[in-house]
Amino acid sequence: MKRAAWLALVAAVVFASTSRAGEKRDFFKVGVVTELSGDLATGGNVTKRGYDLWAEAVNKSGGIAIGGKKYKVKLYYSDAQSNPSQGAAAAERLITQEKVDFILGPYSSGVTIAVAPVVEKYKVPMITGSAESPLIWKQKFLYTFGTIPPVNFTGAAAIRTLAGLSPAPRTAVIFGSNDTFSKATAEAFEGAAKKSGIKVLKFNIVPAGQDLTPLMSAAKVLNPDIVAFGGHDEELIKLVKSLRQIDFTPKALLMHYGVTEPAFVEALGKDANQTFGGAVWTAAEKTKGKILWKDAPTYAAAAMKAFNVPADYTQAGSSAAGIAFEVALEKIKAAPPISEAKRAELIKALETVDVETFYGRVKFATEGDYYHANVGLNPLTIQIQSGKVAVVGPGQSAEAKAQYPMTRWDKR
Amino acid sequence: MELLPQALMDGIMLGAIYIIIAIGFSLVYGVMHVIDFAVGEWIMLGAFAGFYLTEWTHVEPMLLLPGVFVVFAAAGYLFQPLIHRVLSGHRGNPLLMGLVFTFGLGLMFRGLAQTFFGFYSHSIPSRFSNGSFFLQGGGFSTTVSSVRLAGLVYALAITGILHYLLKHTDFGLGVRALAQNRDAAGLMGVDNKRTSAFVYGIYVGISAMTGVLIGMILSLSAKMGPDFTIFAFFVVVLAGMGYLAGVPAAAFLLGIIQSFFLIYLDPGYTLLAVFAILYTILLVSPRGLFGKGV
Amino acid sequence: MRDRRLAGCVLAFAATLLVPAVVHDTFLLRVFTEAVMWIGLAVTFDVLAGYAGYLNFGHSAFFGIGAYTTAILMVRAGWHFAPAAAAGGAAAGLGALVAGFPTLRLKGAYFAIATWALARAIQQIVLMMDITGGPDGMRLPALLSPRFFYYVMLGVASVTFFAYWFLLERAPFGLKLKAVREDEQGAKALGLNPTKLKIQAFILSAVPTGIIGGVFAYWVTFIDPASTLGDLVSDQALVMVVFGGMGTLIGPVIGAVLIFAFKTLFWAYLSDYEVLYLIILGAVIAGSVVFLPDGVLGMLPRRKEAGNRA
Repeated sequence: MKRAAWLALVAAVVFASTSRAGEKRDFFKVGVVTELSGDLATGGNVTKRGYDLWAEAVNKSGGIAIGGKKYKVKLYYSDAQSNPSQGAAAAERLITQEKVDFILGPYSSGVTIAVAPVVEKYKVPMITGSAESPLIWKQKFLYTFGTIPPVNFTGAAAIRTLAGLSPAPRTAVIFGSNDTFSKATAEAFEGAAKKSGIKVLKFNIVPAGQDLTPLMSAAKVLNPDIVAFGGHDEELIKLVKSLRQIDFTPKALLMHYGVTEPAFVEALGKDANQTFGGAVWTAAEKTKGKILWKDAPTYAAAAMKAFNVPADYTQAGSSAAGIAFEVALEKIKAAPPISEAKRAELIKALETVDVETFYGRVKFATEGDYYHANVGLNPLTIQIQSGKVAVVGPGQSAEAKAQYPMTRWDKR
Repeated sequence: MELLPQALMDGIMLGAIYIIIAIGFSLVYGVMHVIDFAVGEWIMLGAFAGFYLTEWTHVEPMLLLPGVFVVFAAAGYLFQPLIHRVLSGHRGNPLLMGLVFTFGLGLMFRGLAQTFFGFYSHSIPSRFSNGSFFLQGGGFSTTVSSVRLAGLVYALAITGILHYLLKHTDFGLGVRALAQNRDAAGLMGVDNKRTSAFVYGIYVGISAMTGVLIGMILSLSAKMGPDFTIFAFFVVVLAGMGYLAGVPAAAFLLGIIQSFFLIYLDPGYTLLAVFAILYTILLVSPRGLFGKGV
Repeated sequence: MRDRRLAGCVLAFAATLLVPAVVHDTFLLRVFTEAVMWIGLAVTFDVLAGYAGYLNFGHSAFFGIGAYTTAILMVRAGWHFAPAAAAGGAAAGLGALVAGFPTLRLKGAYFAIATWALARAIQQIVLMMDITGGPDGMRLPALLSPRFFYYVMLGVASVTFFAYWFLLERAPFGLKLKAVREDEQGAKALGLNPTKLKIQAFILSAVPTGIIGGVFAYWVTFIDPASTLGDLVSDQALVMVVFGGMGTLIGPVIGAVLIFAFKTLFWAYLSDYEVLYLIILGAVIAGSVVFLPDGVLGMLPRRKEAGNRA
């Protein structure tokens, strides 16, 4: 009986796999590998919103124009379950079973690094609209691109903005949660602080997910001007509450991604105000887009209408990943389905993409430590002001004056 | 030295959270001999109940605690017979069966929470979470957060009430009899099913209230459960499984270890220290700190 | 009857050898490879859980030790894959030896939690070390040959399975272990050495788990503390064993195949309902405990016993 079951299983699988190859179709099959469940589902769903919005907008405009004909796009999702090996399996399934033309990539860096060799093997281009770890780009994967610059490129800018405030901060306590992204963020903060002449009184990488109140008590005694923290959404919320509970208001509180997430302001209310953060895009940024959305506010409005959640830079970066493919496809006039030779051409075309979008300039580096990461953007320093994200630096990008030093918690 | 009072205070406050996570859990183990893997999920569900109730009614969440307790205790009471069924009958290794059953239950709750509550983190706003006061004297000073103090008071109150219930009431006598010898207790007229259902109800109610407090002090999200499950386990094992009186000491110890590591030693190794100490204590004294576990 | 079952297993094994000849789709071969991996992990978990009566929540630690040892030796020391994976198995075995002496004195729930603490501690150590890449994990050279990994995984899993079969079902070792499980004092009185037996079982469970971890690392090309040292391996192995039928060798295999097939089919073809996955999986686990106390395998034996008598 068991043998029969096995045979039946094999037969079913073989049947299921008899490919739909050689088909002709008049639309692009776009694979999406991202974290729709598991620990990183929050971020994975942000990327999903970005990808969905892009697909919807492209199709509304008729599709991607290739040689006078317009081809719609259809997204094929596969869940990485916040697990690198599942991500690799997801990419392989999309490529071999669904025969996707190209891939929009994961939210997290770990999953991206596991997926990259798979897309490399099948020669299918992938752009991630989110992963920010510098490690990805050091591997120099030919088929992997990313629209968000690595965090060591963006994290430093925020510290430089803070260093320019008056009275200038002189000391800082910096720490990060022990995960790839948060650790890289903290290290970027530390490096930039040292360069800007800010003395780092304490630097720690701490295990993720614990109550950091005692550590904040230790920081309070050192009384630094800046408290800077690399972490994820929930950790940021807990940290602000900790500071409030031990009644310590530094002159500036700096975090990175997660501050711009709507959940941060929603959970903390007025305690969220005046927190600094790093971002590469905000909903009010003065960008000039040629494709799909004419500027950031237009995009933000469309996003709000579609999902009823404010868009952050990860969502925007994900939509921009779609746009980058669009531009490259139009350039090489690749109609679906895209052959392997055409896909190699697509890589070359992506490397030459240099386009202004609602998200800002998209241009992928073709050498160095940022290989295939988008280096067209200017990293921004933002601050939560009255519950809204405001750009406060650097220099001429600023749309509001930084509120500094921070108002004491009990005076708000 | 300047930090010592603060380090102790932070550790005690953290310990208070651990007490309320673990005390109901320990009670259930002592009486029903079930390791409830879903403890973190009960906490999570309670936290969301508190979050939505506060959002709708704008009532101070501290005042909602009794209501949350009653609702969840009723749910636990009604739920217990199912667990009872898993533990009894002709199954080999009931301990394991209970564990796997509640593990499945936990997954289900987490899935339901993610479906209905979404992935985002929240915080329960409370009047208490805004305040703190500064204690000073004899060259030492420490800041005390009102909301954490409320948590400590709550933890001690729950411990006191449970202690009273167990030692000074007929119900408690029945519970203790059951914990010692199920068959003999049955012969003496203790209604095993009913008493167990009450105990489980109390546990679920306490866990749900704990969730509300954690939402006030820290944060809440659909995926928060396992983090608390693991600490509930650790406290209970340190205390000796089912040995209720050991829970506060074990919880404070764990909180203070964490606090001291974060402040004085390398914060990066805090969790490693917690796990390593737990492991060592188990080896030295296999039935918990006091050797009184069952 | 046992030998007939063994014959069935050998036949099934022969059939699995042919899978790559029939299945040309690389994704499906990946699925089969992972299925075989989970069979291996479930069976190794059951040696301790079913035969020795110890619930090891630190099973993932051995998997992770194997994966990291292999990765470090290959990447940092330039070893070849085979000796590196073997070293991974040895490291896991050594870990079991060191951890086993003190922990195996503990009873039931205490053992489960001690091993859980141990696994978490190892995860924290790996997170803090430089040689392991800390939270960034490690990337291994990519050898993207699905057939190679299928056969390697199958080789490890089937050698494990048949070795277990011999040791646990044929040799006196299995009976001794069961005697210790049922009544440790009694076993002692019979002249058995329970501590030694339990440690042997622990090592027996750990070594193949470590090797599988090593193969996994090379196969997936990337490992990090969350995916190799998290609770996933222990939790899933536990679920598979309980669902299939504990204390047998066939049970975990059936459990692994069914749970993994369900998981994968759901993931691949019902991904729009992904949110329901946890709910359904949880319900299946809880339901199987209530309705199938002896696992799927428990539904079969009566018929087989009848057949035996005839």
